[in-house]
Amino acid sequence: MVAFTEEMVDVGGTKVHTLKGGSGEPLLLLHGAGGNNGWLKSVDALAEKYTVYYPSHPGYGKSERPDWLETIPDMACFYTWYLETLGLEGVRTIGFSMGGWIASEIAAMCGHSFSKLMLVGAAGVKPNNSEITDIFIISPAQVLDLMFHDPAQAPEYQAVYGKDPTPEEAMAAESNREMAVRLCWKPYMHDPRLTSLLKRVSIPARMVWGKNDRIVPVECGEIYQRTIKGSDLVVIDNCGHSPQVERPDDFIKTALEFLA
Amino acid sequence: MFLMRFTERAYTSYTEDAVRNSPNGAVRLTFSNSNFDPQIGARQYNEYLDEYEYCEEVGFDGLMLNEHHNTPTCLGATMNLEAAILARNTKKPKIVLMGNPLPTFENPLRVAEEIAEIDMISNGRVVSGFVRGTGVESLAANVNPLHNRERFEEAHDLIIKTWTTPGPFRWEGKHYHFRVVNPFQTPLQKPHPPVWIPGLGSPQTLVWAAERRYPYIYLETDPQGTQDMIDVYTEAARESGYEPGPENFGYLCRIHVQDTDEKAYESAKGFLTGNVGVGRVPMPKDYMLPVGYGGNRNDPKVAKYLGRIRKDPFLGLGLETATYDQILASNRWIVGSPETVVRKLRETLSVIRPGILGVWTNDGDTTHADTMRCLELMGQEVLPAIREIGAELELTDPFQKQAQAI
Repeated sequence: MVAFTEEMVDVGGTKVHTLKGGSGEPLLLLHGAGGNNGWLKSVDALAEKYTVYYPSHPGYGKSERPDWLETIPDMACFYTWYLETLGLEGVRTIGFSMGGWIASEIAAMCGHSFSKLMLVGAAGVKPNNSEITDIFIISPAQVLDLMFHDPAQAPEYQAVYGKDPTPEEAMAAESNREMAVRLCWKPYMHDPRLTSLLKRVSIPARMVWGKNDRIVPVECGEIYQRTIKGSDLVVIDNCGHSPQVERPDDFIKTALEFLA
Repeated sequence: MFLMRFTERAYTSYTEDAVRNSPNGAVRLTFSNSNFDPQIGARQYNEYLDEYEYCEEVGFDGLMLNEHHNTPTCLGATMNLEAAILARNTKKPKIVLMGNPLPTFENPLRVAEEIAEIDMISNGRVVSGFVRGTGVESLAANVNPLHNRERFEEAHDLIIKTWTTPGPFRWEGKHYHFRVVNPFQTPLQKPHPPVWIPGLGSPQTLVWAAERRYPYIYLETDPQGTQDMIDVYTEAARESGYEPGPENFGYLCRIHVQDTDEKAYESAKGFLTGNVGVGRVPMPKDYMLPVGYGGNRNDPKVAKYLGRIRKDPFLGLGLETATYDQILASNRWIVGSPETVVRKLRETLSVIRPGILGVWTNDGDTTHADTMRCLELMGQEVLPAIREIGAELELTDPFQKQAQAI
């Protein structure tokens, strides 16, 4: 396993908890609405080739939230500041689910932040023929059930989701959920401007989707692929919303191939 | 003592199976409106208004209305409409709005206008309650639950300013922005209609209401817990420089009366199909209390009150799980002949000491005929007896003693 450190990056007075490890060129990972799941197998594999920066978003986990940060475009703006603070530019990035939405906004807002953009089960665009599941009117247990096509094939499922949370973990999960509500309530899980702005993006981009994603339908991946010129869409069979957890080997293969 | 009559105006022409088979097994929010028959609705709206109008004749001091959304448990989806009708068709009773769910409105000025109109049509009989609404109201109006309390407080401040400050003025708040605040019609009552705050006893709201000297109406909360809530209110009132009395407190209680205990026992079973819905299927937590709705637990002003309020042994809202007999044995619902009801009420009134009593006479599938008989007996025997008890216990109401004069 690649060694990683935990540090608090000070972005204009806001402390951002960041996992950092590996070697090579920088790679930014942006987690989804549920929060940062830590240094899992897929992260570790990426750190074999790259220096991975894996922050908890402001308002998530141990990261602080500045009062003004209320929306995903706010978050995108914040992350351009984060990158600037770290002296990073033109980095590779992978955004998962809501983190994919953040990554898309950054790519559309600031042309020199990223050199490659990979979106995994990303929210952010409104499907025409399906719906992004409303995760705010169902229980966390129902959300978890919808996230996986077959939890049995996810090697780290038990480690991440299998045990009862401690009271502190439960409170942190609730707090993360609150932050997701703050960011994604209305319009729900998408930004109506985004598809227009994404036409500006000219870096290499790849969409990765579980074929059986019951949270963000594959149609969203198709929309992203059609909108970002030159991009491609990789659909993983027998896989739900989190390929990096459910089918880590397939995910790592397609990620490393794209990022190289 | 101020006596006001209440019912949720339930629609019950659906089955428990329909609820259980609905999304998330919920009777509110996502229970399909294909289960609603407007023919039945047309009859019920008129019956419910007839009942309220009859309440004037039997001697109630107030007609208490509420509203809920996306639910058969309360046909009042726009309470101000019913209030406007009652304002015109009655002469004496106060029209008590308990209350307009402020956070769900994008335009609180519209609410200010509606209440001002009702106040004038009724010749100054409106009591304007404000509520945060349940989580379902936030979800039905698609208002971020995290903003619920902020919007409640800001909409309240805007409405009060609209009623009390000559326009035009500009409002640039966090959630509301108006370049010209100047509704032409202002309320008849000056400085504005009385504001009462109904609720289930969240410490933040208790403190907020106490700071403004608004009477707080406990919505059939557990009597033990209610005493703790009164303590929270009282402490906050003292910090604001006054000593609250019964005129600062109201209590809503289900009270159903018939000629005999046996008859009342049967006809009050409508309470079991009313605001909890046919089948009493428990609501999903994420509907009633969506993430963020609970507010800021770290606010030091309220943190000191957390844990101070004893938990409701029936888990509060709806009393979903207890059996009918358990509930009646606890006196949370008071059901019986006039004599039985008055005897039991004395105990409740002695413990809680409210200056305002909300009498939730009927609900659910209790028939219109039984409801009318209940109201008749209320007028003949129960209300006079309660007034005597109120006088004996010195349960002063806000109209006898101006609790909210600032």
